[in-house]
Amino acid sequence: MHALLILAPFLGSFILNLPFRKVNKRLSFGVCAALFLLQMAVILIPDFGLNKINPAALANIFNFDLGVDALSKVMLFCIGLVALVTLCTNSLFLKDSDDKFNFINVLLIAVSGMNGIVLAKDIFSLYVFLEITAVASFILIAFNREELGLEGAFKYILLSSIATVLMIAGIALFFLVSGSTHFAAIHSALLAQDKSLLINLAIALFVSALFIKGGLMPFHGWLPDAYSSAPAASSVFLAGIVTKAAGVYVLIRILVSIAGFSLTLKSVLLFVGAFSAIIGAIAALTQTDFKRMLSYSSISQIGYIILGVGTGTVLGLAGAALHIFNHAVFKSLLFMNSAAVEKALGTRDISKMGGLGSQMPVTGLTSVLGSLSCAGIPPLAGFWSKLIIIIALWSAGFKTYAVIAILGSVLTLAYFLSLQRSVFFGKLNAEFKNIKEAGFSLLFPMILLGVITLGVGIFLPLVLDKFILSFNAVLGG
Amino acid sequence: MFLDLIILILLVIAALWTVMTRSLLRASLGLALVSAILTLIMFNMDASLAAVFELSVCAGLIPVLFISVISLTQPLTFKEAVEHMRSRMARFWELPLIVLILGVILVLLSAKFKAKLPALETQASARFVLWHLRQLDLLGQIIILFGGVFGVAVLFKERKKRG
Amino acid sequence: MTAIALLLTIIIPLFSGVGMFIFPQKMRRVKEALLILSSLAGLCLSVFLFKQDFTFNLPWIGPGLGLSFRMYNFSAFMLLSTGFFGFLIASYSVVFMQGKKFVSQFYGYFLLCLGFSNGVFLADNLLAMLFFWEGFLVLIFGMIAVGNKDAFKTATKAFIIVGITDLCLMAGIALTAHLSGTMVISSINLPLNNTLANLAFILLMVGAISKGGAMPFHSWIPDAAIDAPLPFMSLIPAALEKLLGIYFLTRIALDLFQFTAHSALSTLLMVVGALTIILAVMMALVQKDYKRLLSYHAISQVGYMILGIGTALPVGIVGGIFHMINNALYKSGLFLTAGSVEKQTGTTNLEKLGGLGRKMPVTFGCFLITAFAISGVWPFNGFFSKELVYDAAIERGWIFYLAAVLGSFFTAASFLKLGHAAFLGKLGSENTKTKEAHWSMLFPMAVIAIVCVVFGVFNQLPLNHLIQPVLAGKLAGHNFSGFPASMKLVVITCVVLFLALVNHILGVRAKGSGLHALDHIRYAPGLAKIYDLAEKRFFDPYNWGLGLVGIISRISLGIDRGINWLSDGLTVRLAYGFSSGIRKMHTGNYSVYLAWSLVGMLVIFGFLVIF
Repeated sequence: MHALLILAPFLGSFILNLPFRKVNKRLSFGVCAALFLLQMAVILIPDFGLNKINPAALANIFNFDLGVDALSKVMLFCIGLVALVTLCTNSLFLKDSDDKFNFINVLLIAVSGMNGIVLAKDIFSLYVFLEITAVASFILIAFNREELGLEGAFKYILLSSIATVLMIAGIALFFLVSGSTHFAAIHSALLAQDKSLLINLAIALFVSALFIKGGLMPFHGWLPDAYSSAPAASSVFLAGIVTKAAGVYVLIRILVSIAGFSLTLKSVLLFVGAFSAIIGAIAALTQTDFKRMLSYSSISQIGYIILGVGTGTVLGLAGAALHIFNHAVFKSLLFMNSAAVEKALGTRDISKMGGLGSQMPVTGLTSVLGSLSCAGIPPLAGFWSKLIIIIALWSAGFKTYAVIAILGSVLTLAYFLSLQRSVFFGKLNAEFKNIKEAGFSLLFPMILLGVITLGVGIFLPLVLDKFILSFNAVLGG
Repeated sequence: MFLDLIILILLVIAALWTVMTRSLLRASLGLALVSAILTLIMFNMDASLAAVFELSVCAGLIPVLFISVISLTQPLTFKEAVEHMRSRMARFWELPLIVLILGVILVLLSAKFKAKLPALETQASARFVLWHLRQLDLLGQIIILFGGVFGVAVLFKERKKRG
Repeated sequence: MTAIALLLTIIIPLFSGVGMFIFPQKMRRVKEALLILSSLAGLCLSVFLFKQDFTFNLPWIGPGLGLSFRMYNFSAFMLLSTGFFGFLIASYSVVFMQGKKFVSQFYGYFLLCLGFSNGVFLADNLLAMLFFWEGFLVLIFGMIAVGNKDAFKTATKAFIIVGITDLCLMAGIALTAHLSGTMVISSINLPLNNTLANLAFILLMVGAISKGGAMPFHSWIPDAAIDAPLPFMSLIPAALEKLLGIYFLTRIALDLFQFTAHSALSTLLMVVGALTIILAVMMALVQKDYKRLLSYHAISQVGYMILGIGTALPVGIVGGIFHMINNALYKSGLFLTAGSVEKQTGTTNLEKLGGLGRKMPVTFGCFLITAFAISGVWPFNGFFSKELVYDAAIERGWIFYLAAVLGSFFTAASFLKLGHAAFLGKLGSENTKTKEAHWSMLFPMAVIAIVCVVFGVFNQLPLNHLIQPVLAGKLAGHNFSGFPASMKLVVITCVVLFLALVNHILGVRAKGSGLHALDHIRYAPGLAKIYDLAEKRFFDPYNWGLGLVGIISRISLGIDRGINWLSDGLTVRLAYGFSSGIRKMHTGNYSVYLAWSLVGMLVIFGFLVIF
């Protein structure tokens, strides 16, 4: 069944490009939305019809080795959600129907790549799908062919290719050590041997490569440029899910399935996580570009996720996964807010804004929800994931890091409050008296994500224990 | 062993030349040279299938593509080329030094890289590997190719002029 | 049935009090009716419950923290008094408050006060008592605040002074509960043999005597006399506060602790009492305002009660409690006369009053009776209770007796002055058309005056039925009713009162007017300076407190600014400086970013290898 998650988006994109493009163009939005909705449904509802069918014919042709656990499920759901939201955002921003169509195609390829990353159980396959995602991301960043976007894409290509080189070198070393590229085989080979220089080198290469992909400090150089210069919809997609799937998820997968958690590795993760969380937040404080501020905020939040992973405990992993989900929700939401504001005002400079809340009430309200969730204010969803991460840090004995995490939260609140104050509150600039709220196709996903943030925050405690327990299996094997 | 070392050194020199040479044309030739030397190493290591791929695609096809694209551009005048060369030297003068230092470090460390290599699996045929063992990778490669082509089409095709 | 009646004594005033705030402004008649009816209901219920003895438990928070009420003779006595004063003053207020602002608020607070004080009297649990006690504090604030334009400041003053002493009470209750292991009042009986127990006693005592209005917690009362609505003065500082404070002081001394005569604490209480008598009455002497003069007496009289109870002798305690109820009677009566004077003439400034005796004969009659009572003239009630207190005081030391007798002298002198200035002498030109007050204002006054006489002439009635049962078992067979036992003390009292009269006549001769009859004391060498300072409120502990608070707040402000500078200035500046530093590091040059990544990787590798 899961093979379909990879195949369907690709085939969708492939078929859309066959003849009858005029019909296809009209269909494309619906097909794409349906695919993403199906993906979410498959994950969310275990009894969903598609989950039961396992076409024998398909199994005979495709002998894919795929695996699903709680972490992958969270990722798959996030991918579906953010892709759907990106689709809606995009339909408002691109006027040209050809552009819209092309964007949808690239989006489908990226989703196919990310689903592959999440499902792969072989390190080389994982690498291949990472590349698919990377290629699709380049195209998405440079999609408008504006100078800044091209520059951002170029920086992403360069640093991403460095990451690729490091990763492929790591894969080669793993292969050298174990003679296989399968997760389980490498894991058992590593267990059988002492931690030699070679293995340490391989792990260092891999971890660094994934830090680059995930945009952790000090490996983050490409991220603010790429996020802020990309088209609105691409920013939502990149910040919402791509870096999480390509960087953070793979990192977790490598650690859980291959490298295991040694104390040294944990210290590296915790340090880098805390460093990103704090420095990212501090850097966000003085940004004047709406999207740049959100980019640094992303770096900071990814730092939190890595802090959770760095504990090496079930609780920490569950917290990290939950934060990935929450981050996907609130950061997509915030990037959409910034897109709405940019569309209305034609600028991203915060210092020129003010009082937009009265003109754009939905955008203002949802951005407050997103910001507060990001800062970890109860009862929003972000509170629970941060709380779990902090508790995990504390109970794992990393009390200093727990305190740092709390401090980071304060900083997060600080920059978001200053953002809110200067964008949505205060006096309206006379220049922007006639601006209007964004269109429905942007408002709908905003409201949807706002409701999710609030709803998850309120109802999560009911299923929290179940959610955390499901991560036992992730760590256990 | 001695031969390996010489070939490796040659590879490094070729790569350095590729980066620091004065024109794009020479750089693409350098790239072909690097691939060719890499092919030698692969043959030497009994990876004949990979060597053939490397020689045909990386040393053959890609430089041809590069050169054909470069030939469409305006070539630099000699003066500009010298200027370009100078700026590259100024930017990359430390590159050989770094490579040299890294090389020395790696050679010194190589004594410590003592991995217990597992016995190699029985050599399966390339066809079996591709179509049965690495089926997923193959799908991935197809998607990458599709995506790449699509990307080129999207990014470099002249868009319709809007009314 | 009785249990329900008991709860009703608290619930009826509370509900109708809340109703006052809910009903619309226009339903004035309904509100007045409600006020009278619910205070009357309180009186009837207390009569119905009289002489009952039972405990009623409401399970509440947990074991030991139940909301328990106990009805016994002392509570019954107190309830009856509350009902009595509540009803009389309520019917007085209805006329007095006509045409004033915030009437319904005042009525609401009035009824709530009745309910809360009933709660205090009935509570058999320290926590429940504290609840009602603290509720009373809020109500005092509200009742003063609805007065004239300066009332809010005075209300704040009262709130702060009483609030601080209530905090002491709270601490005392916590300590007592800790020492005894229970909150149930009827099962606490602590020996005063260690520091903690002594501390607890003092803390509780502070709460109790401050509610009573003793020095040094008195200074809001004279201010409130001017600013608050008059029925407030008549009900709260004159009656209910004395009842509450002295009731609780008696409970502390009799039940909660094993309080014995000749202990240091007993002496402390007596000193507080004696000082309060003398200092407050000295201030009363020189007042030129009817209400303010009375308010100082309200403070001074509480000194007698504290002195009496402080002796820890049965005669003293009986005297103290008797004086409490007597004082409540004649002092609220006096305030009511002040009210009717204010209502009819529009002022209580003695300089403008005079000769009202002919115009307002009933008021003057009530004033005469209550003034005789407070001065301790036979056969009015004040005489008997004072004699009991004298009797106890002289047993503990002549100095206390001296203070008490001196207080009596000044009291008599100042009431001679007050009566002379207000009701005798020349009729002020502005007051030629003054009429007698409305009958419904005269009625409460008259009732109170009659009770004053009854409690004096037939003092067996209150002593045997109301007061002495409280000390059941501790009286050792004594009965203090009837004419005072010590003839010697009675003679001294008579001499002192005669001297006061002589002093007044001489003073009037010297100065030519009743108002200035005591100027020779006011301007006596040595005292003049002190009086000057006192009139500038130099001795007001509240002002000292405010000064101290001012200094502390300036220091805290400094600390706060410092911390603020650290948190808002330094850290923010640091964070922003740091932030813009980071911003500058992001040049947008990819080779820099590349270098960061590679250095990061090498560091990670090094770290993994080394550790």
